Amino acid sequence: MIRRYAALIRNAWLVDLQYRASIVLWLLWGVTEPAIALGIWWAIAGDGSVAGYARADFARYFFAVMLINQLTIAWDSWYLDRWIRDGELNFRLARPLHPAHEAVAENLAYKARTASVILVVWLVVAVAWPAVRLPFAPGRWAITAVAVVLAAAMRFFISFTTGLLAFWTTRATAIMELHAGVSLFLAGRIAPLALLPPAVAGIAGVLWFRSMLAFPVDLLTGTVQGTDAILRGLGGQIVWLGVWILAYRVAWSRGIRKYGAVGG
Amino acid sequence: MEQWADETNAANLVMMFRVPTSAFRLLSAFWRLNVAEELQYRANFIASVLGTVFNLATALLTLSLFFHHTTTLGGWDYWEIVVLLGVFNALTGVIEAVLRPGIGQLAGEVRSGELDLVLVKPVDAQGFVSFRQLDIWRLTDIVLGLGLAGYALFRLGHTPSLAQLMAFGLTIAAAAVVVYAIWVVLMSLAFWFVSVENIAVLFDAVYEGARYPVSAYPGALRFLFVYLIPIAWTTTIPASALTGRLRPEIGLAAAAVAGVAFGLARALWRTALRRYAGASG
Repeated sequence: MIRRYAALIRNAWLVDLQYRASIVLWLLWGVTEPAIALGIWWAIAGDGSVAGYARADFARYFFAVMLINQLTIAWDSWYLDRWIRDGELNFRLARPLHPAHEAVAENLAYKARTASVILVVWLVVAVAWPAVRLPFAPGRWAITAVAVVLAAAMRFFISFTTGLLAFWTTRATAIMELHAGVSLFLAGRIAPLALLPPAVAGIAGVLWFRSMLAFPVDLLTGTVQGTDAILRGLGGQIVWLGVWILAYRVAWSRGIRKYGAVGG
Repeated sequence: MEQWADETNAANLVMMFRVPTSAFRLLSAFWRLNVAEELQYRANFIASVLGTVFNLATALLTLSLFFHHTTTLGGWDYWEIVVLLGVFNALTGVIEAVLRPGIGQLAGEVRSGELDLVLVKPVDAQGFVSFRQLDIWRLTDIVLGLGLAGYALFRLGHTPSLAQLMAFGLTIAAAAVVVYAIWVVLMSLAFWFVSVENIAVLFDAVYEGARYPVSAYPGALRFLFVYLIPIAWTTTIPASALTGRLRPEIGLAAAAVAGVAFGLARALWRTALRRYAGASG
């Protein structure tokens, strides 16, 4: 399995290499939203603070959002929607390897490239701009890495499962857009959850949205403090990851039975 | 000899900006076909309207979140920015209905060589490429956007005077020209960077910045949006015209910016086209 994965990732890496310029554009697209949000909160905070967030806190928060969003993002619903509608799924089903593995490998190759670019940019910016520097805390970074892996896995299954809805509807990607719109607020893309009305932030915590992005981001910036809060956050991530894996299994087994393939 | 050179220059200039009446007949024929085709897919209309309503709701919620923590943003209050959001949405309608389905396809066509089929047609290639396709359902974005702007003006208790409405007409037209010029520039770049099929993404990324008044941004971003990637002229200025904060000289400047942007875009397009070697090249 490891050898297969090495081959798949190598393949995806080389394919991406041909589309370097395209990937830079997707990367730019991914960082403008947090950059603009940072610009607006920067103006609102002024010389004071908003709910405990001063300008430097916003800067750190949104730099962390750029990095962790890139590390956890998943495009799979768009791929699956196309595979299912155009019948590109057919030859993938004929392979002795579940199509999800190819998707995971692509995901990893893409993230290795884009996230490392963001990391380097962050380091360079941090040299010139003290506001975005993080305190040196290897232990915290290690826990963040675990949270990022869990979040990435969960977002992968959310995206993959939603893409599988293309077995039943032609608007699977629209559902994903809807999810993206909701996550703008609930996952903390437009503002730290602490700035949302408490009831809304509560919903984000009960559902999977906080686990997707806001929790790893708050871990990295140091907003989540105390073993108790960290364990509860990780626990929430594991529970929701389990739920989405289950949803994926149901959708896959039902969908594949329904699938007639193009021309079939 | 010199006179001859002058004449060719003049002829070139005329070539550059000549819009033959046959072009309009051609366009109306294309658009009629288009409308007939789109009318077969009426469910798309509902989906498109729902999508727009959802986008507007998200934008308004985002704005409410900002205003939960402040009373003004870059000197604008809540309903003033809603006017701006309405303008933004109307321009999004123009982009999605005309630009993306038309000129937005260019990068892919340069790559595949399909542009050959456009170039052999006896029409101006830029004009044809730009306006060949019309996604009529997205025109509802224009209606919804202007409706939202109108409602926000009502909530502001501000009835625009005739002069302000005329200023709005001028600046929104200038805004459309600027947006168009940005698309032409981006798509012209595809002639150099052939592998970049998703170059339109760059527009989407930058245009996000036009959701808020340019005065809300820190100095460096503001400079970028006013002078380098002139999206400040597309929403901030027309919205200012409606709310009555626009100074007349800025309105005239907007028209000048649009003219310059169009001229530069046209020039870049012509340079780019010379690089095109066709499908076999």
